[in-house]
Amino acid sequence: MNNIVLLPVLIPFLVGVILILFRNQLPIQRFVSGVTTLGLVGISAYITYLIYQDGIITLELGNWPAPFGIVLVGDLFASIMVVFASIVAAACLFFAFQTLHPDREKYYFYPFFFFLLTGVNGSFLTGDIFNLFVFFEVMLISSFVLIVMGGTKYQLRESFKYVVISTFGSMFFVIAVALLYSVTGTLNYAHLAERVAEAAQQGQSGILTVIAILFLIVFGLKGALVPLHFWLPNAYFGPPTAIAALLGGLLTKVGVYSIMRTHTLIFTHNQDFTLTIILILAGLTMFFGVIGAVSKFDFKRILAIHIVSQVGYMIMGLGIGTTMAIAGSIYIITHNMIVKTALFLFCGATEKVTGTTNLKKMSGLLKTHPYLGWLFFVAAISLAGIPPLSGFFSKFALVLGGLEAERYFIVFVSLVVGLLTLFSMVKIFMYVFWGSPSLSPEEVKKTKVGKLLIPGIPLVIISILMGILAEPVYLLFEAAANQMLDPSIYINSVIKE
Amino acid sequence: MSTLHLLVLAPFIMAIFVPFFYKGFRRIHTGWFVLALPLLLFIYLLRFIPIGEPLQVVKETMDWVPSLGIGFNIYLDGLSLLFALLITGIGTLVVLYSIFYIANKKDEPLNNFYVYLLMFMGAMLGVVLSDNLIVIYVFWELTSLASSLLIAYWFHKEKSRYGAQKSMLITVTGGFAMLAGFCLLYIMTGTFSIQGIISFFAESGAIFNEALFLPAMILILLGAFTKSAQFPFHIWLPDAMEAPTPVSAYLHSATMVKAGIYLVARFTPVFGGTPEWFWIITSFGLLTLIWGSISAIRQVDLKAILAFSTISQLGLIMALLGLGSASFIDNVAEVAIIAAIFHLINHATFKGSLFMVVGIVDHETGTRDIRKLGGLMAIMPITFTISIIGIASMAGLPPFNGFLSKEMFFTGVLEATTLNIFNVQTLGFIFPIVAWIASVFTFAYCMIMFFKTFTGKYQPEKLEKKAHEAPIGLLISPIVLASLVVIFGLFPNMLSYTIIEPAMQSVLPYVSDPYINIYHWHGFNAELFMTIGVVLFGTVVFLNLKRWQETTFFLHERDPLNRFYDGGLEGLVAGSQRVTNLQLTGLLRDYFAYMMVFMILLLGWTFFRYDAVAFNFVDVSEISPYLWIITLALIAATISVPFIQHRVTAIIVVGVIGFLIALLFVVFRAPDLALTQLLVETVMVVLFLLCFYHLPELRKESFKARFKMTNLIISVGMGAIVTLIAFSAHAARHGLSFEPISQYFVENSVPLAGGYNMVNVILVDFRGLDTMLEVLVLGVAALGIVALIKLKMKEGQDI
Repeated sequence: MNNIVLLPVLIPFLVGVILILFRNQLPIQRFVSGVTTLGLVGISAYITYLIYQDGIITLELGNWPAPFGIVLVGDLFASIMVVFASIVAAACLFFAFQTLHPDREKYYFYPFFFFLLTGVNGSFLTGDIFNLFVFFEVMLISSFVLIVMGGTKYQLRESFKYVVISTFGSMFFVIAVALLYSVTGTLNYAHLAERVAEAAQQGQSGILTVIAILFLIVFGLKGALVPLHFWLPNAYFGPPTAIAALLGGLLTKVGVYSIMRTHTLIFTHNQDFTLTIILILAGLTMFFGVIGAVSKFDFKRILAIHIVSQVGYMIMGLGIGTTMAIAGSIYIITHNMIVKTALFLFCGATEKVTGTTNLKKMSGLLKTHPYLGWLFFVAAISLAGIPPLSGFFSKFALVLGGLEAERYFIVFVSLVVGLLTLFSMVKIFMYVFWGSPSLSPEEVKKTKVGKLLIPGIPLVIISILMGILAEPVYLLFEAAANQMLDPSIYINSVIKE
Repeated sequence: MSTLHLLVLAPFIMAIFVPFFYKGFRRIHTGWFVLALPLLLFIYLLRFIPIGEPLQVVKETMDWVPSLGIGFNIYLDGLSLLFALLITGIGTLVVLYSIFYIANKKDEPLNNFYVYLLMFMGAMLGVVLSDNLIVIYVFWELTSLASSLLIAYWFHKEKSRYGAQKSMLITVTGGFAMLAGFCLLYIMTGTFSIQGIISFFAESGAIFNEALFLPAMILILLGAFTKSAQFPFHIWLPDAMEAPTPVSAYLHSATMVKAGIYLVARFTPVFGGTPEWFWIITSFGLLTLIWGSISAIRQVDLKAILAFSTISQLGLIMALLGLGSASFIDNVAEVAIIAAIFHLINHATFKGSLFMVVGIVDHETGTRDIRKLGGLMAIMPITFTISIIGIASMAGLPPFNGFLSKEMFFTGVLEATTLNIFNVQTLGFIFPIVAWIASVFTFAYCMIMFFKTFTGKYQPEKLEKKAHEAPIGLLISPIVLASLVVIFGLFPNMLSYTIIEPAMQSVLPYVSDPYINIYHWHGFNAELFMTIGVVLFGTVVFLNLKRWQETTFFLHERDPLNRFYDGGLEGLVAGSQRVTNLQLTGLLRDYFAYMMVFMILLLGWTFFRYDAVAFNFVDVSEISPYLWIITLALIAATISVPFIQHRVTAIIVVGVIGFLIALLFVVFRAPDLALTQLLVETVMVVLFLLCFYHLPELRKESFKARFKMTNLIISVGMGAIVTLIAFSAHAARHGLSFEPISQYFVENSVPLAGGYNMVNVILVDFRGLDTMLEVLVLGVAALGIVALIKLKMKEGQDI
C-alpha cells in the first residue's frame, strides 16, 4: 500500500477543477499547467523507480479490501505508460501555449487537458475492470470536447462520427463487463484472473473465450485496430495540432494498454486462439494503416492515419507472446508515443510557416528552416525503424522475438510495413523540405518558428537516447514484460490471503 | 573503448564540429578541416599491414545492448583492413578533390556536404570493422542514409530527389531483408558475432539440413545485392549519379557499393561450399556483369557510362566470389578469390580516377554529354593522360593493373568449368562465354569514352564554358590514383602478401599459405587469346556503333527495368488510394456496417468454434403476465421506430421506449434506477422538442431493397449474437460455484458502512471513486457544451 500511486490521477483531477476558476487569467492557467505536467513527469518517474526497486504498488481505495473495493495497481508496465503519457502531455502543453488561440484557452482547454490526463492515467493504473470503464468515460468525454472545440464545420461533422462510434464501443464495454461479471462474479483484475483460470479448468473456457474476444473488440475500437479504426483518421485532422498530437499520442495507447493488460493477466486460458486472432488483427492493422499513409498527400493526414499502422506493431508483440516480443511491444508503444507526438508538433510548426498541411503546396523548407527539417528527419527515420534510434530497437525486439517464435508471416508483414512507413516519411521530407524554397527571404524572417520547436526537441532527444542507451531501456521493459507474463506476481500483490 | 573504436567514431565526432567550422571560418573551405581526419586514419591503419609476418587479427570488445546480444565489437583482419584502407585512403583523395570541385560559394551548404560525407565514412568503417551483425546492420543503414542525403545534396533538382528516394528505398529494402537474415542466423547459432557464427558452423558440420539456412542466406544476399547494385536491383545506381562527382567517385564506385561484396566475402566461410551460394552469386554476378557492360554502350552521359561500368564490374567481382566459394570443396577455385580481391583494389583505383576525370571534364566544359564533347586531348593534356591510364586499365590492357585482374578473371572462369561439383559440368561452359562477351562490350565502352571525349572535333559552340585544363588541386587526386594504377600494374606482387593474402585468409580461412604470384606474361594460353579476341571484337563493336545505335535497344537510354520501379511506385500510391477510399468512405453507416459485420463474424466464429452456446433456465423466475405485456410493448415500439416518417411521432415513440424501460426497472424493484431513467427520458424529450424548431425537415429517404436487406441482416445478426452470448454467460455461471462480490456488499453494507440502502452504499462508499468520476464526466460534458456553444472559431485561426 502506498498512496503515491494515486497521485498521477489525483493531481490532474484537482488541478483541472481548480483551473476552471481561473478562466480569464491565462498566465495563471499556463503557469500552473506547465508546472503540474512537469511535476507529473517527475512523480511518475519516481513511482516507476519505486516499483522497479520494490515491486508492484497497490492502493485499496476507501480502504475496502481487494476484490471488493476499487484498487489501484501500479506495476512496471502501468507506471512506464504513465511516465510516457506525462512526457507527451507536457510536450503538447508547451506547444499549445504558443499555438492555441487565446479564445480556445479561455474556453477551458486546460481543464479539459487535465481531465483527459486523469482518465488516461487512471486507465493505466486501475486494477478494476469497471473502474477502467469509468476512467475510459472520463478520457473519452474530455477527448470529445477537445476534438470538437472551436466548432468549425469540419470538426463538428467528424467529431460526430467519432462520438457515435465511441459511444457504441462504450455500450459494448458495459455489456462485456456485465457478461464477465455474470460468469465470474467479480470485477477486480487479480480476482478475475484467478476465477477465469479456475472457470476455464471447470469446462467454461468457451464462453470465456467469447468474452475475451468481446473485450478485444471493445479495446480494439478505442485502440483503432483495423477494421475498427474508421473513426480515427478524420477525427484527428480537425483539431489544432497541439490537441491532435495529444490525442494521437495518448488515446489509442490506452486501448492497446488495455488489450495487453487483459490478455496477459485475465484471459490467459486459451491463448493459442486469442493470440492468433490478435496477430491477424495486428497484421491487418499495420498494413491498412500504412496503406492509408501511402495514399495521402497531406502532412497531418499522413501522421493521423499512420497512428493506426503503429497500433498493429504494438499488439504484434502481444500476439507473439514471448518476453522479448512483449518487451518489444512496450518499447514500440513508448517509442511511438514520443516520436509520433514529435512529428505532429513539427507538422504544426510547418503549418505555421506555410499556412497549409498540403504537401503539394510546400517546398524547400530545409533551406529556410534547417532545424525544423532535421528534427523532422530524425523523428521520421526513427519512426521507420532506421538505426540507431528508438524505432530500430523496438522493431528489432519484435522481429527477433517473432522469428524465434516462428511467426514468420507477421515478421514479413512488419518489415514490409516498415518500408512503406519509410516511404511515407520520405514522401513528406521530399515534398516539404527538399525542392526549391517557396518562401522569399522576407517571408522567412516573418515565420521564424524556433520557439515552436522547443517542445519537440526533448522528444527527439529521448528517441535518440532510447536508441543509444537501448540496454537500460530494454532491461526495464524486459522486467515489465516478465512481470506481465507471470500473472501470479500481480495477483499476489493485490489479493493478500 | 579502444583506439579502433575511436577510429570508427572519429568521423561522427568530427561531423559534430563541421557546422561550427563552417560558420566560424566562413572564408576557409570547410573541406580543409575535414581533410586531416581520413588522412590520419589512413596513416594509422597502415601500421596494421603485415610485412614479412602473418597479420595479427585485432579484436576489441565493447558492450552495447548485451541483453539482445549486441556488442560493438571490433574485428580487424585482412578483409577489414583492405576495406578500411580503401575507405580512408580514397576518402582522403576525395575530400581533397571536393575542396576544388565544390566552390565555397555564398549559399553552398558545405557543412551539409561534409557532415554527410563524414557520417558515411564512419558508418562504412563501422560496417567493415564490426564483428557483430546488428552493429553492422546499424552502420549499413547509416551508409544508405548518408548516400541518399548526398545524392540529394542539390535537392532543388527534381532528379536528385528522385535518385535519392530510389536509392534509399532499394537499399533499405535490402537492409530490412538482411536484418531478418541476421536474426535467422542468430536463431540457428545463438550469436550475432560473425566469427562466432563461422566457428559454430565449422564445428557443427550438419548445417545444411537446417530449415532456416537457405532463407537466411537468401535474405542476406538480398541485402548484399541491393547495396552492390546487382541485377535487377542495380537501377538505383545510374540515378545516384545526380550526386556531386566526388560522392560518385567515393560512395558509388569505390566504397559503399562494395559493402555488398564485403558482406558476401565475409559470409563465404559460413555459406561457401553450398551449391545454392555458388549458383546464386555466380549467376547474379555474371548477369550483372553482362547487363551492365551492354547497357553502358548506349549511354551518352559520361557519368552514366561509368555508372553502368561500375555495375558491370561489381558483377564481375561478385561472380568471382561465387566461383571462388567452390574452393571449400575443390581448391582449383582459389584463384577466383584472389582475382576478386585484386580486382576490387584495381577497380577502386582506376574507376576512382575516371570518376574524378569525368568530374573535371564536367567542371571545365559544363557538360558530360559525349555528343557535345570531343577533341579535348590537346586542351586538357593532363586530364587526358590520367584518362588514358584509367580507361586502358578498365579495358584490360597491359601493363596496367586492370589487365592483370582481367586475366585472372579469365583464369578463374576457365578453371571453374573444370569443377566437378554442383552440376557445373552441365552449365559451366557458359561462364567463360559470358565473361568474354561482357569484356568485349567493356572494351567497346572504354573506347567510346576515350575517343568521344578526347579525339574528334572540339565543339566549343555546344559547351557552356570555354574548356581549359583543370587547376592543379583538382588534378592531384586523380593523378595519385592513376599512379597507383601504374604501380600496381608494374609491381602487383607488392600487394600479394601484404594485402591480398591476409584478405584471402578471411574469405577462405582453411586455405593455408596460398601461393600468390601475379605477373603479366603467362605464355600463349587461353586467357591471352581471350584478351586478344576482346580487343579485336571490342574494336569491331565500336566501329559499328552507328549501325547498332539505330536498333530499338539503343533508343532507350534508360534501363528498361526502371519501368518496374516507377510503375511499382505509381501503382502503390494509386492502389493504396483506392483501398483507402474504399474503406474510409466518410459515411457513418458504412463504418457501422463494416464494424458490425466484423464483430458478428469474429464473435460468431469464436462462439461456435468453442461450442460455447448454452442455455440454462433452472433458477430463472416466473415471468408474470404484465411483464409479458411490457416486454411485448417494448419490442413493438422498438420495431416501429424505423418505419416512422414523422419526426414528432418518432420522438414520442422513442420516449415510450424509455418509459417502458423505466417500468421494467420498477418491476425489478430498482426504484432509484427507474427514477433516473424517468428523469433522463423527460429531459431527452424536452431537449428534442427544444431543438425541434431548428431541425431540418425529415426527408423521406428511399433505399434499394438490397441495401435495406443488408442492414436488416446485420442488425438482426448483431442482436442475435449479443443475446446468445448473454444467455450462454448466464448458463455458464451455473456450472461454476463462484460467490459474487456483491455478497460482500450485502453482508457489510450495514455493519461496516452504516447504510441500509445497499445501492447507495455501493455508489458513495464501496465504489465511491466510480461515482466521483462519473460526476466528473457530467461536469466535463456540461463545460464542454458551454465551450461548444460559445466558442465559434473559423478554420485556420490557429494551428
